[in-house]
Amino acid sequence: MLGELVAGATGGLVLIEDTIECEGRSLLKTFVAASAHRGESVHVFGFEIPEEEFRAGFDPDVTVRLLYQDGFTDPLRWTGEAGGFSGEEFTALGVSGQLARGPAGPATVVLDSLSWLLLHQPLPTVCQVLGRIPMAAASAGLRVTRILALLHGDLHPPGLVETLRSLARAVVGVGPAPEGMGSGGDAPRLASMLQRKETGKVLEKEEYFTILAGFTPKALGEPTGSVPRDEDTDPHSTADPTANLTFNLRLSDTERRARDGVPLPFHFSAQKKSSLLEASASAGKIYYEPDAADDLDEEDPDDDLDV
Amino acid sequence: MAALATGGATPSDGATSFQRKVPASSRLAAIAGTRPSVRHGQLLLSSGLPSLDCVLGGGLAVGTLLLIEEDKYGIYSNLLFKYFLAEGIVCGHNLFVASAKEDPADILKELPAPLFDDVHKNQVDEKETAIKSKQESQESMKIAWRYQNLPKMEVSPAASARFGHYYDVSKTVSPELLKSIKWHRFFLPEEMSLHPEIKTCNMTCGYTRLLQSIQRIIYQEGFDGSYPQKKQKNILRIGIQSLGSVLWGDDICCTDNPEDIFSLTKFLYVLRGLLRMSLSACIITVPAHLIQNKAIMERVTNLSDTVVGLESFIGSERETNPLYKDYQGLIHVHQIPRLNSLICDVSGTKDLAFRLKRKQFTIERLHLPPDLSDTVSRSSKQDLAESTKLLSSGCGAMAIGKKHLDF
Repeated sequence: MLGELVAGATGGLVLIEDTIECEGRSLLKTFVAASAHRGESVHVFGFEIPEEEFRAGFDPDVTVRLLYQDGFTDPLRWTGEAGGFSGEEFTALGVSGQLARGPAGPATVVLDSLSWLLLHQPLPTVCQVLGRIPMAAASAGLRVTRILALLHGDLHPPGLVETLRSLARAVVGVGPAPEGMGSGGDAPRLASMLQRKETGKVLEKEEYFTILAGFTPKALGEPTGSVPRDEDTDPHSTADPTANLTFNLRLSDTERRARDGVPLPFHFSAQKKSSLLEASASAGKIYYEPDAADDLDEEDPDDDLDV
Repeated sequence: MAALATGGATPSDGATSFQRKVPASSRLAAIAGTRPSVRHGQLLLSSGLPSLDCVLGGGLAVGTLLLIEEDKYGIYSNLLFKYFLAEGIVCGHNLFVASAKEDPADILKELPAPLFDDVHKNQVDEKETAIKSKQESQESMKIAWRYQNLPKMEVSPAASARFGHYYDVSKTVSPELLKSIKWHRFFLPEEMSLHPEIKTCNMTCGYTRLLQSIQRIIYQEGFDGSYPQKKQKNILRIGIQSLGSVLWGDDICCTDNPEDIFSLTKFLYVLRGLLRMSLSACIITVPAHLIQNKAIMERVTNLSDTVVGLESFIGSERETNPLYKDYQGLIHVHQIPRLNSLICDVSGTKDLAFRLKRKQFTIERLHLPPDLSDTVSRSSKQDLAESTKLLSSGCGAMAIGKKHLDF
């Protein structure tokens, strides 16, 4: 599933969440490389690491498509030089203005990192800007296919992280994997992925992966799953009460035919049925046969009362 | 009740031959899609789901607010939202759709298509021929032969004369039907870009604009009775999607101490006032699972009329539990309003579950079979703590535990 996500199975906001134990920038670069190989122009808004460090390790055909907006060198705009990008400029119009400088066609916006922006601007503002970037870009004639954002999960309160997860189309959480997995490439890591499709379906998966040179991902298989749950679900999954009984609840064919042949009580013959049916086709009739003890006096007994 | 009111049904139709004599003058002003309630005399609307109408005591009263607490991924709450709007389209009501995430025009395009009588009958016939046991009933009956000649009573969803319709989720509503009704929109990013400067009156900016927009529509279209010469009254169905989420500018979903903790509650207070004085009903979905401060949700519940919480099984351990395999989630009815009465119509069952098939969203009582395991185990303390963190009421929880206490 990680391969599909990297290959662009989902648009919208893709969140890569890492922690101090396991960094996610290399996975972000993997997504960037895949986007560039697909022919999209990649606009990177970098705030945490210098440009040279971000561009390191990419193939030349990737770096050609990379348009870097430098928010690291001069974040507060003290030197006043042109060509930088500060946190206040992160509005829908500001971002689409930067995007318009690039080539037309599908574009991927990369935010490295979203945590830096969240430390400088309140969350509602950032989320509204993220939602408006595609619209603002569309009005400027560009098509933003996805927004890749790197989030450091342990820097923020859990409510904020949950809110961002609910807004994102795909969330990839990166964590350390147990030792001894795989060989070659980078250290193996565990990716917990959540993807919301347009149809409304939600997919969750965990995979081990590693990143090879040139930023290509390599899937290493899935974790075996939690064991203790099996003990509890076993008695319920084999809930077939008709098995293992001392008496027989099933019918063989001859028994079934014999059962069908038994006449039911109140099972009248065909003539009696049809005569009764015809009689009752009209409105309901009451058949009353007076008993010996019944008194069929037509007079109203209440006439005697002197009221 | 609706069947009785249709006068002139002859016995050969299959309906009962009882006819109710109602003098025409004493009929309430008939607005399409509403019916009076026997319990509290208010005018009731259908919420779009006949089974939800039953749970709510007949329907949603005009002038009240239906609040839906979203499930974790917002799938089923979105569906209920769409059912409410689709019911408005079928009944010919006016719609007001407000959202901060999706364009209202896109929301309306994706509404489910209504199922009418003839369409459903075809489906019913197909199903009948497929199942062998149904064929037997059409031939002479073996045991119940006295009822053979009686005409068949079909309980099928009927056309728009009935109260409450069924919808097909796999199809979207036809554009002609959409064009036939009048609807209004509020899309927050659009409003913010059109009117960038607006004075905020002690509420989050998005809420202020939304309230002003609703008030303007109610006044202009005469839903509050400001144009008494208008001959045909109609209902305004307001739908607000994901209120309280970050996209509305409110940060109650991110922090324990939000900047303006009372913004949402003030909005609901003003909104309910607007609803009460007009012929309208409102559905709001709130991402309750994201709101950090639990006191806010309690205040929000108090300020709404009907509150329904959804809990879906996606992603939880109940998804694979075979006991819940027929259902997609649980429904918790947190509050039902007390309109003109001292007590409300709370049904005795607290365990309601819903299932979604292609054409029907049904809400049923959740029946858990008795625990047949050999060990009588009780849920351990950590399970209890977990379940109280979720929205679940806890009384439907199974007695499965990793440790069991022996007494």
